[in-house]
Amino acid sequence: MSSIRLRLLKWLVGPILVFNLGAAALTYLLAWTPAQLAFDDGLRAAAGALAGRVRAEGLAPLNDGQALEDGVGEAGWAALHDAQGRLLAGSPDLAPPPAPPPAPNNGALRDARLHGEPVRIAVAALDWQGAPATITVARTVRARQGVRSAIVRSLVLLEGVFSLALVGLVWLSVGNGLAPLARLRARLDARGSADLAPLDDAGMPRELAPVVGAFNALLGRIDAGAQAQDAFRANVAHQLRTPLAGLRLQLEWLAARHTGDPDSTRSLGLMLQANERMIRQTNQLLSLERAEPNRFARARLQPLDLAALVAESIQHFVEQAAAKDIDLGFELAPAPLQGDRFLLRDLVDNLVDNALRYTPAGGRVTVACGGAAQGGSFLRVEDNGPGIPAHQRQQVFERFVRLDEKTVGSGLGLAIVRDIANLHGAELSLGEPGEGSGAVFTVVFP
Amino acid sequence: MHILLVEDDAVLADGLTRTLQAQGMQVEIARDGLQADALLQRNPPMVTVLDIGLPGIDGFEVVRRLRARGDATPVLLLTARDAVEDRVRGLETGADDYLVKPFATPELVARIRALARRNAPKSTVLALGNILLDTGARRARVGERALELSVREWAVLEYLLQHAGRVVSKQQIVDAIAPWGEDLTLNAVEVYVSRLRLKLDGAGVALRTIRGFGYLLEAGA
Repeated sequence: MSSIRLRLLKWLVGPILVFNLGAAALTYLLAWTPAQLAFDDGLRAAAGALAGRVRAEGLAPLNDGQALEDGVGEAGWAALHDAQGRLLAGSPDLAPPPAPPPAPNNGALRDARLHGEPVRIAVAALDWQGAPATITVARTVRARQGVRSAIVRSLVLLEGVFSLALVGLVWLSVGNGLAPLARLRARLDARGSADLAPLDDAGMPRELAPVVGAFNALLGRIDAGAQAQDAFRANVAHQLRTPLAGLRLQLEWLAARHTGDPDSTRSLGLMLQANERMIRQTNQLLSLERAEPNRFARARLQPLDLAALVAESIQHFVEQAAAKDIDLGFELAPAPLQGDRFLLRDLVDNLVDNALRYTPAGGRVTVACGGAAQGGSFLRVEDNGPGIPAHQRQQVFERFVRLDEKTVGSGLGLAIVRDIANLHGAELSLGEPGEGSGAVFTVVFP
Repeated sequence: MHILLVEDDAVLADGLTRTLQAQGMQVEIARDGLQADALLQRNPPMVTVLDIGLPGIDGFEVVRRLRARGDATPVLLLTARDAVEDRVRGLETGADDYLVKPFATPELVARIRALARRNAPKSTVLALGNILLDTGARRARVGERALELSVREWAVLEYLLQHAGRVVSKQQIVDAIAPWGEDLTLNAVEVYVSRLRLKLDGAGVALRTIRGFGYLLEAGA
């Protein structure tokens, strides 16, 4: 994946470094060339001066170490050669200048090595006893190398600091420029999974506005699609209810007429069971839709008592428990909370239905509610069925997960419970009873 | 008991008719709202069972017209939608009760009976299984056997018979039999019920305890 930050940094830092390098090279040339010229001038002048002294004083100055000193501590050598390159006097280590000999005072300068050390050589022409001759002067280059290292050292230090400062500045600017993107991402991250409300483009830079606009248009289409899907599902479920109600009554009536015929009774019983399953599935689809976070209206929250809510559904629970010969009991204490009446009834219904469904015949289910120890209210549904192994306890709250293929269920009940608990900011937990087997579902409301 | 059933779905209307007739009710059927409106004016029933989604005028409108005429006939709304707005709107319009399809048959019958009782001249005789409780004459019998009951036991049994087939909480019983803030504990209710249970032996009824909550009196051994 390409990164805007990396691209910007690559295109800013690279050129900056190249330009800095170029500027450093130029500075080096500008500083070094005049220094070199000055040293060379000095050397040439020294050669000229020596030639003058040799003309005036003879060969003595050639052997005078003092005359060769330049005042900056460089070692020096001098030699007098005739036109044929023969050494007339001075240091034998110095090679004669290449022919033709230079014009007077136009001594060409060259580099050479002497005694293993780099030297700079200047040549001056003169007349020696009526014949043309040359004076060659060589000097070590330690001083100029000292000057050059000083220039290079300062340049490297200066340019290094300069480059680092620039890169730092570029880094900060790029980060600053990209901050709105980071803010946008933070806003998106902070959303709930079902939040399809358009993004707020307040405070967004002009460059991001089209992106936010396009994104909002997409969100709008998704939202409309989701709503159409919800509406369709609800509509289908509602449409199914009337025929299912009719079918149930007809089957019940038929069953009542055929009580004496075991085959018919069995067959009608199965039909009624299938019908009940369809009814339950239909209702689950509807309550799933009601528990959708984007349909949750905070305005519908009202002060409620869980004990009263459980009591409202008790008739249905008792009939269901009686059909399976389950000992269904209640421990209801006042449990006040703020909630959505219809959603909480779905929550209670699904928890109790789940317990009755998965507890074997002759088992025991207890529904309790009251004030929680840490403030708030709790609802607890406990059964003595087979229970749920610890490693599967998270799974049961997922949609369409059924741990037991033998029991008839939609796999939606506990997902609905979880959704409704989440909407109310309640803690939903699944444990096991203090003794014996079973499952204990606890919902603690704030 | 004369019931007006307003339901456009033929299968459901037929099933409801047979079920209610089996309960000893006389059922008259209307297929749409206008027909229901006309029948309600011509031949007022004891209870109207009214579907909301009807062709012509819907159930809400039927109730609105009924109440606008000052007619207090009890109305039980049947709704396929359980949207909160539907429930609230139904009751606000003047319906007395509502039931979401698909309903359990005993539930429907119980609610119709409750509405009929509210409307009917107080019947003085309550019956279930072999029990006969004549509240007018204050005489109770199980089959041919006279039933001796204390005042409290009588009150508890009367309340249970009035709510036969329904789970009632101990608190509901306390509120019903000691309405003037008399000091009556839940434990006392348990004592009355256990005595009643002994006296109702062989009465063809089951008086079940709902652990931690209350009781359910229903027909059957």
